[in-house]
Amino acid sequence: MTAVPDEDELGKLVGTPFPGGTFTFEPWWVRLVNDCALAPASDGAASPVFAFLAATAAMGWSWEQLWAHFGATEADGPMAGETATEIVEPLRVGATYTVSGEIVSAVRKRGARTGVFDLVGYRLDLHDEHGSLAASCTNSIIFPRRSL
Amino acid sequence: MTAPGDELPAYEVGPVSAEKMKTMSALMRDANPIHFDPAAVRALGLGDRVVNQGPLNQSYVVTMLTRWAGGADRVRALRLRFLGNVFAGDRLVAGGTVTAVRGDGSGRVADCDVWLRVSGGDPVLSGTATVLLGE
Repeated sequence: MTAVPDEDELGKLVGTPFPGGTFTFEPWWVRLVNDCALAPASDGAASPVFAFLAATAAMGWSWEQLWAHFGATEADGPMAGETATEIVEPLRVGATYTVSGEIVSAVRKRGARTGVFDLVGYRLDLHDEHGSLAASCTNSIIFPRRSL
Repeated sequence: MTAPGDELPAYEVGPVSAEKMKTMSALMRDANPIHFDPAAVRALGLGDRVVNQGPLNQSYVVTMLTRWAGGADRVRALRLRFLGNVFAGDRLVAGGTVTAVRGDGSGRVADCDVWLRVSGGDPVLSGTATVLLGE
């Protein structure tokens, strides 16, 4: 999709599945992320932030591909709204997780200061090698709609 | 014993490093130049300093919780709203307050309000966390 969806088209995007993929927490990668985050190396991949990083890295679309489903590009300035992560079992260095998910909400809103924008929610789940849910991450994206 | 109303020890961060942002862009395969090219930030009218990645800002909140609770594996849920940008050179402070203590399937947990803000300035993140208590 390249055009900005109308409100009906926007609603129909709810339920769209992500292609998904797998993500392995390689020790060198985890160490460098913790270094960038000023977090102790001993934290490993246990921080909820690793669930977000793995989920979005293996969701099966690039960010530009995700924007394109909503008729937007990086130049339109999509912004992160909220992020919510629940950890069922702390993620482990060396382990491989399967990522799956879908678009869970998509609504058009109008703000007095912000103008028209679309608020899109998506959920990504991480399952361990036994198929058990390890973590779930639900995020929202704000798409400014300056042309509307 | 942890109780509602307890203040979580503040965690001070900074100055935020532009070099770590570059490494993080590579690790995340994030091509957005606002994290490594000041010209891209200027073009957006956001000033001359590169913008920190959201996951790094979230991590500072997690580290604040980790220092209090005894390990990142104790942070079982985290919900954050993005309120503003962090720029290279900023100094930040993360903190929070216990709002409830309860039992769940894994033991006693504390629900907390948490936040990250620029020192002496605007809030950057605000939200809630659930932390497994070791007591």
